[in-house]
Amino acid sequence: MWELLEAIENTGFATWVREAPTVLAYSTVLAFHTFGMAFLVGLSGMIALRALGFARALPLAPMGKFFPLIFVGFWVNAATGIVLTMLAARSLFSNPDFYVKLAAIAGAIVSLRMLRAGLFGHDAPPDTGPVPLKTRIVAVSMLVFWAVAVTAGRFTAYSPYVRKQSALAVLIAAFLMLLGRHVAARLFGRASLSASAEHRAERPALQRG
Amino acid sequence: MDAFLRTWLEWPSVAAFISAHSWVWPLCETFHFFGIILLIGGVGMFDLRVLGMARGLQPETLKRFIPGGVYGFTLCVVTGVIFVTGMRANVPMSPYDVIRTDVWLQLKLLFIAFAGLNLLAFYATGMSRAVDALRPGEDAPGLAKVIAGASLFLWLGVIYFGRLIPEALG
Repeated sequence: MWELLEAIENTGFATWVREAPTVLAYSTVLAFHTFGMAFLVGLSGMIALRALGFARALPLAPMGKFFPLIFVGFWVNAATGIVLTMLAARSLFSNPDFYVKLAAIAGAIVSLRMLRAGLFGHDAPPDTGPVPLKTRIVAVSMLVFWAVAVTAGRFTAYSPYVRKQSALAVLIAAFLMLLGRHVAARLFGRASLSASAEHRAERPALQRG
Repeated sequence: MDAFLRTWLEWPSVAAFISAHSWVWPLCETFHFFGIILLIGGVGMFDLRVLGMARGLQPETLKRFIPGGVYGFTLCVVTGVIFVTGMRANVPMSPYDVIRTDVWLQLKLLFIAFAGLNLLAFYATGMSRAVDALRPGEDAPGLAKVIAGASLFLWLGVIYFGRLIPEALG
C-alpha cells in the first residue's frame, strides 16, 4: 500500500504539478479547489440559512436553481482534491486530520442531499411557510459538517499539537462570534442581524400578501 | 515615505503574538476561508441572480444575504491584515518589502480596489435602483449584468491571486 502511494506521488503528472516552476501548476490547482469550495459551501450554506429562517421573504422553490452550480463546485473540488492528494499521498493518508476532513465532507454531502430532498422534493414546504424541524436539523448538520471539513482542510499542514490548540481556538472564536451576534441582535433588534427578529418583522407583510 | 511605511506596516507585537501562540495563524487561516465562503455565498448569489440564474428570486429580497457577505469580507480583511502585519513570524521579510515585491499580493489588492469601484458603479449608474425594481422572473438590464459578472470575476480573481501570494515569497 505504501509503495502504491509512493508510486502515485512519483508519477510524471504528480511530479509536474508539484514541482513545475509555473503558477499554472500547483497554485492554480489549489486556487480552483478554493473556487469549488466557495460555490459548494457558499451557495449550499445560504440555502441552509434560508431553511433556518434567515431571509424568510425569499421564496424557497427558485433557490433550488442554484443546485447545478453547487454540483459543479463539488465536482471541481473532487477533481482538484484527487490531484492534490496525489502530490502528497503518503503524508495525507497517514494523517488522521485528512480522514476527519473526508468524513466531514461525506457527512456534509449526505446532509446536502437530504436538505435538497426536504426543501425541493415531493413534500416540499410552501414557498414562504415554515420549514419542518427535520429539515432544519439537516441544515444545521450540513453547516457543522462544512465547518469541520473546511477547518480540517486548513489544518492538514500542522503538527497534531498545533492542530489541537488551533481547533480549540476555532471553537472558542466561533462561539464568541455567535454570542456577539446574539447580544448585538438583542441590543439593537436589527432585522438583518437576527433571524427571529426578522421573522417578527415579516409577519405583517405575509398576512397582507 | 519609504521609512515611514517600512515602520508603519510592521507590527512586531502581532508577529511576536503569532510566534508565541501556534494557534493564531491556523485560526486566522480558517476564518479567512469562512470569510471567503460568506462573501461568495452572500454577494455571489446576488450577482448570479442579476446574471439570470434563479430568476424566480426577487433581487431585493436576496439583498438580505448581502450583510452576510459584508461580514465575510470583514473577516477576510481583519485576518488578512494580521497575515501581512505579522508576516515576519513566517517569512524573514518586512511586510513593506513583501507588499513592494510580491506581484500576486499587489494584484490581489488591486482587484479588491476594482471590486470596490465596481460596487460604486453599480450605484452611480442607477443599476442598483433598476435591479431593486425587478420582480420575480424579470431579467436585469444589460449593464447590471456586466457589473454583476465583473463582481464575480473580480472576487474570484482576488481568491486566485491570494492563493498565489506564497509563490513570490520563495
